[in-house]
Amino acid sequence: MTKYASEPDTDFERIFNPEKIAVIGASSKGTGFGSGMFFALQDIGYQGEIFLVNPKGGTLAGHKIYESIAQIPETFDLAVIAVTAAAVPRALEACRKKGAAAAEILSSGFKELGTAEGLALEEQIREIAAQGIRVIGPNCFGIYCPQSGLTMLPGADLSRTTGPVAVCSQSGGMAVDFANTGKSMGLGFSKVVSFGNGADLRETELLAFFGQDPQTRVINMYIEGVADGEAFFDTLKNVARRKPVIVLKGGLSSAGSRAVLSHTASMGGSRAIWRAILKQANALQVSDMGEMVRASLAFARLPARSYKNLCVLGGGGALGVSAADAAEKYHMQIPPFDSGLRERIEKLLPRPGSSGGNPVDVANPYVAPEVLEQVLCLAAKDARIDLQVLITLFHHYKNTAAMAGKPVREVTPFAELARRVENTVQKTGKPVVVILNNPKRGTDHLDVVEMMEQARREFADRGIPAFDDLAEALEAIAHVNAYYGGKTHESANGCPNR
Amino acid sequence: MNQQTAAQIVDRARREGRSALSEYESKQVLAAYGIPVTREILVEDSGELDKATGEIGFPLVMKGCSPELAHKTEKNLVRVDLRSREEAARAFEEIRGQVSGAGGGVLVQEMVSGRRELVAGMTRDPQFGPCVMFGLGGIFTEILEDIAFRKAPLEKTDALAMMREIKGHRILGGVRGMEAADTDMLADLLIQVGQIGTDMDAVTEIDINPVIICGSRPRAVDALIALG
Repeated sequence: MTKYASEPDTDFERIFNPEKIAVIGASSKGTGFGSGMFFALQDIGYQGEIFLVNPKGGTLAGHKIYESIAQIPETFDLAVIAVTAAAVPRALEACRKKGAAAAEILSSGFKELGTAEGLALEEQIREIAAQGIRVIGPNCFGIYCPQSGLTMLPGADLSRTTGPVAVCSQSGGMAVDFANTGKSMGLGFSKVVSFGNGADLRETELLAFFGQDPQTRVINMYIEGVADGEAFFDTLKNVARRKPVIVLKGGLSSAGSRAVLSHTASMGGSRAIWRAILKQANALQVSDMGEMVRASLAFARLPARSYKNLCVLGGGGALGVSAADAAEKYHMQIPPFDSGLRERIEKLLPRPGSSGGNPVDVANPYVAPEVLEQVLCLAAKDARIDLQVLITLFHHYKNTAAMAGKPVREVTPFAELARRVENTVQKTGKPVVVILNNPKRGTDHLDVVEMMEQARREFADRGIPAFDDLAEALEAIAHVNAYYGGKTHESANGCPNR
Repeated sequence: MNQQTAAQIVDRARREGRSALSEYESKQVLAAYGIPVTREILVEDSGELDKATGEIGFPLVMKGCSPELAHKTEKNLVRVDLRSREEAARAFEEIRGQVSGAGGGVLVQEMVSGRRELVAGMTRDPQFGPCVMFGLGGIFTEILEDIAFRKAPLEKTDALAMMREIKGHRILGGVRGMEAADTDMLADLLIQVGQIGTDMDAVTEIDINPVIICGSRPRAVDALIALG
């Protein structure tokens, strides 16, 4: 088979759930990455023991600072190294001698500089790592694990709620942005790793680990370059058989870079090849972080299958046409209901202006959540429908609020709708995706923006995936379809691109 | 399949310091891997021409053939639909003068009929190694870039997925009274192109353009193998 398992002596339990952490390079002045990490760990509520180290000694927020790593009275699981690049190899070696399982090196000044000195320092790190300590980084933001309270920089305010989503990223900024975006969308993480230059532990081994990690169901990767193409491909193919792997590849070019004779080589630039590699492994390629987070949300919240026939329920601008266009783009259908079902739905809706076909146009934005639940339950009776999309029209309640002289968050029935949607899903067994459509986002509508975020939280807490936009939601669902639909199709003819 | 034959052709060219095989040699390598190619005879001397045209049969195609000739059409070294010994003799004189170098000559080739032209190829990616290409062929290759890649070695499902992936995939079906292309044969062709890349590190690039669908069966009509 393939190189799948990580090196057997790597203790990932000690890396992601450390009982004791040493922060090397924590200043008594409270400045710098080391001190920043100490405060972040305290703020997020890390319960383990933290040892601080700085040659100048002293204290930080009442915590003793040891003058050397050797002085720490016990062993520790994980080191956070935030000293100048030239001092990193010595610190790492001292951590290894202390028996640490791993060190995350936040310091920069290595290979990324491209200088002889930077390259040499990184080579030293690699040599020390090979002797028995795993390294995350250098030039990274570290590891975030909500279960253990381990956090990356600057991540004092990340969520402590564990979820099924794992991320590994060559870019620290991307990792932190993903964690924050996920938190605002109600997405929980198992582990997020920023691995920076990846001197030791990097994409392929992390992917293999996430593949085996029982807490991880969805894997995200931001990749600029891979260290070993063959091993990466084999591992990706292997892991993607069991869990969806979503990949954002940075820095693609259309043209082949070398001087070539053939058309094949001139057209085989990194863009075409990466696209092929990811398809071949049944991994999912996305073009930006927003698409990646939304795809993760769909994978995390929707049952594992593909969704081809939708019921779309809502109102607003050119609903029927725009829904049909979006569905066609992503190879889904919105099949019209038969006349019997249509009439039963229309009896529930205000007349005139509404339509009980599919899409269902409610005509009036103030249709009660109770009625929307009844409509969703009726529509689910069409056996073809495998997923329902509910486009909410909450922003219209701004007008109601003005007339009632009350805040918009008090007059908008988002909490009741969330409950009723949850009921609907339980009763019908068919998932519902909610669209928090909001054209009112300017400075004079900050109350609407706030209410929308409260609504998002209500739905998220009930496990209902909520997106801002219908096309974005269908794009995310299309990734789910590509993953679960991609395994069965073998016939060559008459089957459109998935 | 005779991989040894293929390796010998490649080794000889490398010993001669060449960066490419001629069309004739390239096709011999493909044929050694079981890829269907045109029937053809390399003629170096005009005295052998009649025997060659007799074997191939009219109408036929004649092409300048040498390792230095990557793009024959642009250099006006291709004559198609030649229907008599006189036409063949005239074409031979016109082409022969322009083809020099070791292994050079005039390729006398059967004329393959078929309206569907495809392309298959191989490139070596710096990270992922040999990758196979499939797409619409002939002049459309460059104009439409309707192509798909997969990393070698290919499984049959990969080869079939490449055929589905191109926008023009319906060209493989039974359109306008044409027979549906034999996708099993086409899949084998793509798998073998990948296999050449996997077996021989010295082969850096392959272009088979066009692959013409003749009836339902694919055939390599022109080919270029680059060495490194």
